[in-house]
Amino acid sequence: MSKPAVTGAQTGLAYGVLGGLLLLVLFPFYWMIVTSFKNEDQMRSLVSMFWPRPAVLENYVQLLTKTDFAVWFGNSAFVAVSSTLVATAIGTLGAYALARLRFLGRAFMSSAVLITYLVPPSILFIPLYAQIRTFGLADSLAGLIAAYPSFTVPFVTWLLMGYFESIPVELEEAAMIDGATRFGAFRRVILPLAAPGVLAASLYAFTQAWNEFLYALVFITNVKLRTLPVGLSSFITGDVYGWGFLMAGAVLTTLPVIGVYIYLQKYMVEGLTAGSVKG
Amino acid sequence: MSIARPLPAKTTLDVRPSARAWRLARVLGADWRLGFLFVLPIVTLVLALVAYPFGYAVYLSMTRKFVGMPPVFVGFENYVRLAHDGFFQRAVGNSAIFTFGSVAVKLVLGMAMALVLTSPIRFRSVFTGILLVPWVAPTVVTALNFLWIYDGSLGVLNYLLVKVFRVMPQGVGWLSEPGTAMASVVFVNIWRGFPFFGISFLAGMKAIPADLYEAAAVDGASVLQRFHHVTLPGLRNILIIVVLLSTIWTFNDFAIVYILTKGGPGGATMVLPVFTYEMAFGAQRLGDAIAVALYMLPPLALVIILLARYMRRGSAR
Repeated sequence: MSKPAVTGAQTGLAYGVLGGLLLLVLFPFYWMIVTSFKNEDQMRSLVSMFWPRPAVLENYVQLLTKTDFAVWFGNSAFVAVSSTLVATAIGTLGAYALARLRFLGRAFMSSAVLITYLVPPSILFIPLYAQIRTFGLADSLAGLIAAYPSFTVPFVTWLLMGYFESIPVELEEAAMIDGATRFGAFRRVILPLAAPGVLAASLYAFTQAWNEFLYALVFITNVKLRTLPVGLSSFITGDVYGWGFLMAGAVLTTLPVIGVYIYLQKYMVEGLTAGSVKG
Repeated sequence: MSIARPLPAKTTLDVRPSARAWRLARVLGADWRLGFLFVLPIVTLVLALVAYPFGYAVYLSMTRKFVGMPPVFVGFENYVRLAHDGFFQRAVGNSAIFTFGSVAVKLVLGMAMALVLTSPIRFRSVFTGILLVPWVAPTVVTALNFLWIYDGSLGVLNYLLVKVFRVMPQGVGWLSEPGTAMASVVFVNIWRGFPFFGISFLAGMKAIPADLYEAAAVDGASVLQRFHHVTLPGLRNILIIVVLLSTIWTFNDFAIVYILTKGGPGGATMVLPVFTYEMAFGAQRLGDAIAVALYMLPPLALVIILLARYMRRGSAR
């Protein structure tokens, strides 16, 4: 009685639509994985299209031994982790201040952060490139680590502002009545409570940095300094390697974000997504 | 003087700093010290990485600048020339088709996803998790996957349509023929983006009180009427925010188009971000490239300001 009446036909329809959506979403991943285990002969002859026969590991072996893939993987990890640490530190402090502290210009700063988050890279990439060159950081991983906070920091800040706002003010006030300073209350009461949110926001920032393509494409010219997305996409123009090879690289590039995602899923579904686009 | 009146002098000394602090606090806000300290890094970052480069870009767009040469000031020349440039006009049109076509379908698919995930089905959270995966997978990986799926000779899409379902006599060069290229890249953008619509709508639907549905059901409202009069009004704000956000992101999608077609064939999928990139790093005309980017700004600024207003209202609760 408490739920609106749902007929069998509606449930059937729901399952039908769900099946369609699942097929749509899963097929490209299935295809990517299957292809990565096929050898070149099988691919060319169009036999046993939907299952690798024989299933081979040579794509992965070649990828890791004969190309710079491992180097690129390291570059991506280094850039993503470093820029995430920077973004998390800056964003957490800023978000706390913007959510809780009373000071001149707070409302303006909140708007500025949001607008910065919304300004897209396709407008920013040329001026930012010029700026990175002025700093002498062109064609270096440091340049990417410096540039990525331009999108990760506003994002982390905006997410965490909502998170800090949801922690009751009374907790902080109680700590301050007990003699803690404002900073002490932040460090010993609020920060531990916000830790799950901070972790989630930083993992989000990590995936954004890991997936970033445009800046990495523009800023880096040295092949050894490429990040994974740019390195991987350079295989298509290379014409040296086959599709099995490329898909093996795609699988390995996807794995870290999927790992992060499995951890993050409960936040994405329940909390932070709703927090970031509260209605 | 201070010796003659020791007591009042001492009192003023005690009071003066705190009065000053009080006045400062009244102007700068009660927590101004910690507040300024905490936002200083963000301010520095926004100024150095966004505001200043942006201002410099406006200047560069009014110059004739080739890579490695000093800029020459030319006023609005780049803008005027671009307005008459056929390639630029075509890119504007393509961007509009790409953006609105993609956002419209994402809206429909996202709504379907949310409705399915709020109906009484088994393993709901598992399916929610799976349907979100395109949204978290690296865009470059997605683009490469579809590049392979669309492949004219060995791609699985042609194989399915020709050999398995036999609905076509022969394969199509999905990305190499002007007639299908745009729809093919739009599809990839839809595939990647619709889960964001779905998950946001899902969160919004969960926030709609169940008694509203009950009341509507008691009043004899059909499923469609409940959707129209309860779900849609309840989702209004989220709907607006998600559509605006996605409009910005879609309009600025670079990786998918760049990897799949580089704007080809013959400019059929040339959207503004790729056009900007080609202008800057292909033709090496930085001033023109930035002018292209800045042409995108007024419509984007409109969307951004509108969106910021909705999002701030939402967060203020």
